Amino acid sequence: MFTSPILDYSLLAPILIILAGALIGVGVEAFARKEQRAPLQLGIALVSVVASFVQLLRVRNVRSLKAAIDSVAFDGATVFMQGSILVLAFFALLLIADRGNFVAQASAIPGSQDEHSSIAEGKSQTEVFPLTLFAISGMMLFAAATDLITLFVALEVLSLPLYLMAGLSRRRRLLSQEAALKYFLLGAYSSAFFLFGGAFLYGYSGSLSLTGIATAIDVNSGNDVFLLIGIVFLMVGLLFKIGAVPFHSWTPDVYQGAPTPITGFMAACTKIAALGAMLRIFYVALSADVVMWRPIVTVISIITMLVGAIAALSQRDVKRTLAFSSIAHAGFLLTGIIALNQSGLKASLFYLVAYGFATIGAFAVVTLVRDSAGEVSDMNRWVGLGKKSPLIAGAFCLFLLSFGGIPLTSGFIAKFSIFTAAYESGNTTVVVFGVLTSAIALFFYLRVIVMLFFTEPKSDAVTVSVPSLKVKLVLAASVIVTIVLGVYPSLLLNSAQSFASFLR
Amino acid sequence: MDISNYIYLSAILFVIGAIGVVVRRNAIVVFMCVELMLNAANLAFVTFSRINGDLGGQIASFFTMVVAACEVVVGLAIIVTMYRSRRSASVDDASLLQR
Amino acid sequence: MNPYIPILVIGAIGFGFAAFSVGVAAITGPKRYNRAKSEAYECGIQPSPQAAGGGRFPVKYFLTAMLFIVFDIEIVFLYPWAVTFDKLGLFGLVEMVIFILTVFVAYAYVWRRGGLEWD
Repeated sequence: MFTSPILDYSLLAPILIILAGALIGVGVEAFARKEQRAPLQLGIALVSVVASFVQLLRVRNVRSLKAAIDSVAFDGATVFMQGSILVLAFFALLLIADRGNFVAQASAIPGSQDEHSSIAEGKSQTEVFPLTLFAISGMMLFAAATDLITLFVALEVLSLPLYLMAGLSRRRRLLSQEAALKYFLLGAYSSAFFLFGGAFLYGYSGSLSLTGIATAIDVNSGNDVFLLIGIVFLMVGLLFKIGAVPFHSWTPDVYQGAPTPITGFMAACTKIAALGAMLRIFYVALSADVVMWRPIVTVISIITMLVGAIAALSQRDVKRTLAFSSIAHAGFLLTGIIALNQSGLKASLFYLVAYGFATIGAFAVVTLVRDSAGEVSDMNRWVGLGKKSPLIAGAFCLFLLSFGGIPLTSGFIAKFSIFTAAYESGNTTVVVFGVLTSAIALFFYLRVIVMLFFTEPKSDAVTVSVPSLKVKLVLAASVIVTIVLGVYPSLLLNSAQSFASFLR
Repeated sequence: MDISNYIYLSAILFVIGAIGVVVRRNAIVVFMCVELMLNAANLAFVTFSRINGDLGGQIASFFTMVVAACEVVVGLAIIVTMYRSRRSASVDDASLLQR
Repeated sequence: MNPYIPILVIGAIGFGFAAFSVGVAAITGPKRYNRAKSEAYECGIQPSPQAAGGGRFPVKYFLTAMLFIVFDIEIVFLYPWAVTFDKLGLFGLVEMVIFILTVFVAYAYVWRRGGLEWD
C-alpha cells in the first residue's frame, strides 16, 4: 500500500537553509543592481551558513534514520561532519570574498578587448557565492546520504559548482580554464563509475539503501560477481573525489589552476564530504564483506601515501606541493577506513577537522604572496620570505609542521590517533608504511621551512601584501585551531568520541 | 529472451564509453563517451529493477537522466569557453599544467 | 465503468480538436503564397548548404539549446507526482510548488541576465 512520505524538516533544515540561501543568491543576481551584489551576496552566504550551523546545534542530540524517509541518516557522524563542513566553509567564504581573485566576466576571451573593458568597468563576479552555497549543500547531503540515489545526486550537486568555480581565476585564465576542463572530464568519468557500481550493488541486493545492501551481504543472497563489480566501481568514484592514487592525476593540476580560495575550499570541505560518504558506505553497507575490500584499500592507502610524499619532494610550485601533500593525507585518512572500528571513525573525524583548518590557512597564505602580476606560487621566489614577513611565513611553517605531524600541532594528534586505531584493529602493515612516509614528508616540509627562514632572499623576491581583515580572521582562526588542538586535543577528541557513530 | 542479456549489453556500452574517454582526443567526444557510460548505468538500473521486482531502479534512472542533463550543460559551457580562448577542443592542447 | 472508456473519450476529444483546428484554419485563414513559405523549414535557420559564417552555427543556438534541455528535463519529476497525485494529497502539492518555484528562480535569473535575448 502506498503511503505519503514523512519528512522531518527540523533535521533537514541545516541543508535546506543553505539551499534557500543559494536560491536567494541566484535571485539577487537576477534583480539586484551590480554595485549592490557583492556585499549582499557575502551577507546572504555568511548568514545562511551561520543559521544552518545554529539549527544543527539545536538538533545535535537527535538521532534518526527517517529524516527523509530512508534517504538521509541523522546520526552522530552526520552532525559532526556537517558541522565541520559549515565551520570550514565559513572561513573559505571569507577567503573567497577577499578582493580580486575572480574573473570579471567568465565568458570573455582571455586577453580580448571584452575582458579589458569589463575589468575597467570594475565588474566583478558574484555568482561564485551561490555556487559555493550549492556546493556546501551537496557536501552536507553527501556526508549524510544513506541510499545510492541520494549519494549520486549529492555527489553531483557538490561537484558541478566546483567544476565551474575552478575556471574562474582572474589571473592566468588559460590555466584556470584548463583546470576546469580537466576537473570536469575526469570528475564526470569518475561519477559514471560511481553510478555503474551503484547499479550493480542494487542488482546484487535489490535495494538502494545502504542498510538493505548490508542485509543482503549478511544473508549472502545475491550474485557475488555483482557485489565485486559494485564495490570496486563505487570505490573508484569515491577514491577519485578524495584524490587517492591511482586516481589522483587531476589533483595537482586543478589545485594549481583554480583560484586559490576555491582550492582551499575544495581541499578542506570536499575531503570531509567525500571521506564522510566513504566511511558511511564502508562502515554501514560493506562492513560484513571486509575480507574482500580491506586488502584493496590497504594497498591503495600505502601507494597513495608513498606517491604523495615522494612526488611532493620534486615540486617547484607551492600549490602543486600542497596538492601532493593533500594526496598523501588522503592515504593517511584511508587508514581510518581500514581500521573499521569506533576509534577509527573518531580519529578520522578529528583528522578531517585538523587537516581542514591547516589547509585553509596554508592557502590563505598563498593568496598573500604576490608580485605586480598577481599571486606568486613559484617556490624559488618564496626564498627568504621569513626574513621579510616573519609572521605570515611563521604561520605557513606552522601549517606545514601540522601537515608533517610534529608534536604540539593538531596534525600530530590526528596522525597518532588514526594510526592507533589502525593498529588496534590489527592492520600493522599500513601503520608501518604510514609512519615511514610521515618521515619522508617531514623531510620535505623541513626543507621548505629552511628555505623560508634560513636562506637569503633573491633580488626578484616577492612582496607579502598586507592581509585584509577577512584574511586576518582566516589566518588567526587556522593558527589558533592548529595550536589549540595540538596542545589540548581533548577539546575536540571528546566530542569526536561522542559523535563517532553511524546509525544502521 | 533472457533478461540478463541486458546486463551484458549495459556492461559492453560502459566499456565502450570508458575506453572512448581514454583514447579519444576531442573534448566533446570524450564527453559523449561519459554520457554513454551514464546511460549504460541507467540500463543496468532498469534491468535490475525488472529482475528484482523493485521500482527503485527506475526512479534511479530518472535522477540519472536529470543529473546527466545538468552535467551536459555545465560541461559544454566549460568546453565552449575553452574553445573560444584557444580555437581548439582537443584535450591534448590543454597541456599548460603538465610541467 | 470500463477504465478504457475515459481513454477513448480523451482520444476522441483530441482527434476532434485537431480536426476542428485544421478545418477552421483551412476555411478562415488567409491564403498568401511567397518564396519563404515554400522553402524547407529548418528550425529557423536559413536552409543553405553551409551554415552562416563558414560552417559553424553561432553560439546563441547553443545557449538556447542548453537552456531548453535544462528546463525541459525538470518535467521528468512531474511524472511520478502525476501518477500518485491523489495519494500524496496536499503534501505532494506543496512539495511540487516548492520544486517549481526553485525552477522559476533559475528562470528569472536567465531572463534578467539576458539569456533569452536573441540578438
